[in-house]
Formats: sequence, C-alpha cells, structure tokens
Amino acid sequence: MPLLRMRDASFANTTARAGPLTLDLEPGGRVALTFASSQEATIVALMAAGIAKATTGSVFIGDYDPRLQSVHCKRIAGFVPHEPLQLDEGDFPRYIAYRAALWNVEATAAQACARLLCERLEGMHEAFSYPLIGALIATPQLIVLDRPQPAYAAQILRAVEGRALLSTHAHPSNAAAFT
Amino acid sequence: MTARAFAGMLQARLYVSRRLVAYSCGCAVLVALAAPAGVTAPLFLCSLLGIVIALDQTPGRHRHLDRCEQSAPLFGRELARAKALVPCIAATLATLLFAATQFARNAPDAPATLLVVPPAVIACALTALSATTRRGATRALYVLLAFATSAGAYALAVIAHNYPAELAFCVIVAFLALRQYGETLARFDPI
Repeated sequence: MPLLRMRDASFANTTARAGPLTLDLEPGGRVALTFASSQEATIVALMAAGIAKATTGSVFIGDYDPRLQSVHCKRIAGFVPHEPLQLDEGDFPRYIAYRAALWNVEATAAQACARLLCERLEGMHEAFSYPLIGALIATPQLIVLDRPQPAYAAQILRAVEGRALLSTHAHPSNAAAFT
Repeated sequence: MTARAFAGMLQARLYVSRRLVAYSCGCAVLVALAAPAGVTAPLFLCSLLGIVIALDQTPGRHRHLDRCEQSAPLFGRELARAKALVPCIAATLATLLFAATQFARNAPDAPATLLVVPPAVIACALTALSATTRRGATRALYVLLAFATSAGAYALAVIAHNYPAELAFCVIVAFLALRQYGETLARFDPI
C-alpha cells in the first residue's frame, strides 16, 4: 500500500496555485518532481507533508487525510524547508531539544541521533543539514524535501537511508540528482 | 499536547523575541520612573507593549519556528495556547516591572497597578493575536479591538471604580479571543 497517495490533488487560493498532481509513493520509494515555478514546488511539498490542504482532489499520507487527521499525517511525514536555517553551532543542541519536545522524542536519544546524523552529513553546510537532522530525529517514514540543494544530494540520500523520499524542484537538472 | 512540547514552544518563542521583551521591560521601567500618578500610563503602555509582542508572532516573522510548528503533530488550538502565552508573559513581566519601579519610588499607585493592569493587558494581547493571522483592514480592525478592550477595562476599573466588573470583562474577552485565535490557527493556510 502506498505511503503517499495523491489523486488530482491541487491547491489554489487568491495568490498561489499548484497541481493537479497524481502520484503513488511506496514505503522506501523515491520520487523527484520538477515544477514550472519555485512556488508550485513549495506548495506541492507542503501538501505532501500534510501542512497545506489540497483544495481539490485528494491526498492520503499513510491511511490519513490531512484535511481531517493532519496530526497523524505529520507523525508519518517529515518536512524539510528550502530556506537555510540561520543558527549558531552553540544553538544546535537547543534546536534539537526544541524539535524533540515538539515530536515528543526522548531528549537524550534525540541528541545522540543528531550527533550521528551530523557525522553522516559531513561536508554539508550546517544551514542545510540542521533542518534535515531536525526532521530525521522524529524517525518519520516519509521525508519531504522542498527544493533541496543538488550539491548535497549524496549526503542527503545517505542520511535518509531506507525512508520514502519525495523532493520537489524548480529545475530538471536538480531533480536528476535525487532520482 | 505534552507539557514538554508546550514548554518547548514557549521557550523557543520567548528566546527569538528576547530583545523585544527586554526592550519592553526597559521601556516600562523608564516610563514608570517618569510617569504621573494613576494607572492610566501603565495600563495603556503595557497594553501597547502586549500588542507589539503579539504582532511579533505574525507568521513569517520567525519563519523556521513557524515551519517547525506547522509540521509538528499538534492541533491548532494547542499551538494557539502556547503562542498566546508569549505576549501574555512578556506584557505581564513589563507590568510587574512597572509596579516594582512604582514601589521603589514609594508611589501610592503601585498596588492599583498590580491589581488593575494585568487582566486588561492579557485580554488586550489575546485580542491582538487574532490580527497576526490577518492582513490589511481586518488586521487593523483587530488591533483597534485590542485597544478598545484596554479602553473598556480602563472605563470599568478607573472611571466606574468597579474592579470586579473589569475582571469579569477581561476574563470573558480573553476567553473568546483565545478560542477564536485557536480556530483561526486550525484553519490557517500557510501559503
């Protein structure tokens, strides 16, 4: 059974529009989607993570509909935003403690996991690795990346391991690095 | 929502707004040193500070915290409670420092400040929070409503000399404002 199911899922409000999009993503699967604009790529990533609700069509994360059971969806999907995180190295343990508290992950286990992931993501700029580590400490089954940096594709794929991965991109060449 | 998640959110929000909170407290102390007698100055000043700190919670001002909270497995009303406490704590802290300065100056209004101002400031800050999820004229309307809440509390406590009525008014306004903010956050479209 697919971990992420989108059927003609689209989003529209007065300022933004995305989709329609249909896809199935199996557990452990990987898909990299390219869109005409950065805004559309972000909206689709937010829909896939259960943060933005589709205005037409349907999205299921696991067995859950984000419009009705968004809390369950957010336990399954981890979202990594495109924007770099401006954080001093000294603030990193505080950031991990904050993320662990929000996802109710045991604090010492989260810090140990974060240290391990830091080693695995060696060579990746902290501004991009910290949000990914923050998402991974909650051990989500699905990782959604909004326009990740293709230069760090190898490190990201190594850190994500066997989890399902959906990445959105604004250029086909960037998407190729994640397939 | 666990108490740990609640405390984590509160701590993170206060940490990113720490300069604003410090400036608010400094401003309260300075005005208290120069303020004329009565509770008018602390009530309206601390209400204004509460509104400013409430508006600092507007989505987009602390983008990464917003994204973390939106992607965390939390309900809208849970987010609302934690976010609502930030301007309440900051504005109450400013009020306490104002009263402490009055006590230090042996001003006779210090007990009145402690009694009358905190309920008005909290109700005002909670009303102003609804402005953070809106734009344009609606946003301005909620800020005006927040000022009107302070003015109403002032009228009841200072002009009508009816403290229980002020307290009841502030409790009702605060409850309704928090409830509405929670519902708005649950429906909030992050795009």
